[in-house]
Amino acid sequence: MTHVALKDVTFAYAERPVLRHLTFALERGEFVGIVGPNGSGKSTLIDLIDGLQKPSRGEVLVNDRPTGAYRRLEMAREVALVPQHFDLDFDLSVREVVEMGAYCRGKDPAQCGDAGLTLSRLGIAELAPRPFTELSGGERQLVVLAQALMQQAPLLLLDEPASALDVSHQLHLFDLLRELNRDGITVLCILHDLNLALHYFAKLLVLSEGEVAAFGPPDDVLRPEILEAVYGVRAYMHRHAGRTYLTFSPRLRGERRGCVHLVCGGGTGAGLMRELADAGYEVSAGVLNALDTDEETGRELGLQMAVEAPFSPVGDEAHADNLELMRAADLVIVTAVPVSHGNARNIDAAREVLAAGTPVWAHEGLLKNDFAGVTAGLADAGVEFFAGDAELLTAVREREARPQGRSATPV
Amino acid sequence: MTSRARRNGRLGIALAVAIFAACLLLSLALGPVSLSPAKLVGYLTAGPGSGGPGGIIFWDIRLPRVLLAFIVGASLAVAGVILQDLFLNPLTDPYVTGVSSGAALGATFGIVLHLAPLPWMTLLALAGGFATLATVWVVARRRGRIDIYVLLLAGVTISYFVTAIISVMMIRAHEDMDAIIYWLLGSFNGRSWPEVEVALFALPFMVVPLFFAREMNILLQGEKRALELGVDVERAKRVLLFTAAALTAIAVSVSGVIGFVGLVVPHIVRLLVGPGHQRVLPIALLGGAAMMGIADLLSRTMLAPSEVPVGVVTTFVGAPLFVYLLRRRRSGS
Repeated sequence: MTHVALKDVTFAYAERPVLRHLTFALERGEFVGIVGPNGSGKSTLIDLIDGLQKPSRGEVLVNDRPTGAYRRLEMAREVALVPQHFDLDFDLSVREVVEMGAYCRGKDPAQCGDAGLTLSRLGIAELAPRPFTELSGGERQLVVLAQALMQQAPLLLLDEPASALDVSHQLHLFDLLRELNRDGITVLCILHDLNLALHYFAKLLVLSEGEVAAFGPPDDVLRPEILEAVYGVRAYMHRHAGRTYLTFSPRLRGERRGCVHLVCGGGTGAGLMRELADAGYEVSAGVLNALDTDEETGRELGLQMAVEAPFSPVGDEAHADNLELMRAADLVIVTAVPVSHGNARNIDAAREVLAAGTPVWAHEGLLKNDFAGVTAGLADAGVEFFAGDAELLTAVREREARPQGRSATPV
Repeated sequence: MTSRARRNGRLGIALAVAIFAACLLLSLALGPVSLSPAKLVGYLTAGPGSGGPGGIIFWDIRLPRVLLAFIVGASLAVAGVILQDLFLNPLTDPYVTGVSSGAALGATFGIVLHLAPLPWMTLLALAGGFATLATVWVVARRRGRIDIYVLLLAGVTISYFVTAIISVMMIRAHEDMDAIIYWLLGSFNGRSWPEVEVALFALPFMVVPLFFAREMNILLQGEKRALELGVDVERAKRVLLFTAAALTAIAVSVSGVIGFVGLVVPHIVRLLVGPGHQRVLPIALLGGAAMMGIADLLSRTMLAPSEVPVGVVTTFVGAPLFVYLLRRRRSGS
């Protein structure tokens, strides 16, 4: 059964349109998150559903009835809203503040619910006698949620309820929302943390500049290309410990800076991969074994890589791929990767491009982890050594500012 | 309400009733001619027209004057509570809506035209007060809503405008200037039963906000939150604003513009029992009455046989008390 429906809703403050041609519906009992950049119209959307604003065009229906047809008291029994900002400069006790939520249930205590029980459900029973004005930001957020729960409405709208909460209270809050949802309450919650959105919500609505950019299960909706279009950042999806999570990098401005190839493995290159990619370099890597930590990171970052089967020595095909990537690079960096007979050919490849004129830099740790005896003499061959990743990154940045070596293209 | 707050509330109301009764007794007993409690009871039981000169003093002068002071004080305090909470502004008093200035203008017309105080001056004052309210109301009304901030600004602006008109009238009619100034300062001198009859119309308006105590509590969180929680905010604002304006207009029409009670009594009460309106409204009502009664008592006894304007007394008493309570609260918390 449809609980909330928006039909071609447009809303504008004065002349500035905030929401444009919004059409979507929530079924009874759904658990939906709203995400979107600042100013995308999220708060306005929940104000419209609560009937606090009237659409300029189109219709907002709650229980198949236009929101404008509700009196405020009726609406408060149907829709509870947890606002983002909440001001109260008067010395009311927490219990008094929470009890105000039962206003729409009349004066009969049997109908009003118990403020103490509601507070203990949120794990803040001990706050009841305290003055509201003395609470911390996070405590206030929970108290306002308790106030909204006292309305006993079947639809709960929340505007960034977790923004002032520490991580433990955040998780507690979203667990509680899920529990309320299991009890049959429809939940529509604005939040900014996309990873929480990914984990907790059955469905996400992505708003962008007042329009629905995507609406559906989180895995379909929080795809990197959608996030890039909506937020203007690069998004990467990672899988770890059985979960999917997102990380973000700022979007690149202007041209790519140049191409760096990494010889790495076993997690020695993951950090450089991310740093260099974020700084705007085109990064390639190889040869890496599939399922190696660096290989996984490179895959999540969408890098070009020469890859060999898991636990196998570098074969001819992978070696050839690797050489091709190295030749295309402006700089080759060898990390402190342990070198054995399995990956010794990567060092050979580095020597080959060095001879052909591509600068090769290396982490000093490489020499200590050489179990194949192939790194001796690299310094004599012209490989520059650096004390660590930080020094390497600094050098890459300086190199860009002051081109050196034989490479004509700035790296 | 927590049980402690409820206990404080009950205690507060009991205390307020006791203070109210004590002030009533003092106001009735003391004056140029002091009357003992036994005599007071005697006059009361004997009814008007008996008991010789003491009875005449009691029934024709003392009792109506004291009743009037109590009703005016209660009206201003209740109006102050309503307006401070609607505007969410601690500096608000019953006079910001411009109603008092309008009433003063009406009364000034009455004085300049040498009309009888009753009914004409009082009627003109009431008419002036309500005409100002109507003007401010129309200015603040937009798309069926009353913009409370526009109303506040319009009220203040109209107050200045009307005060300017009164100043011009005072200069033009300088032989009446003393009468106008004396009226503006506010006094209960010479008021008797006809004024009390007018003031009695304030009583139903004092009861109205008690029915809106929950809505007023919720409105402390702002209008938007009140809407979210299901309050018919516009209706509550309409009723409460009209109530406050009516209380102010009635009070001013019978006594002039007496300052400080409407500003300071609500604050004192909130400092003592917290902001919950179930407690604040009745205690402010009793407290406002008691404070005005005592102020009037001082005004007629301090420099007897001459009178100090009661508005001066309320300020002299109220200001230090208020400052003391503010200081005490800050060091306490």
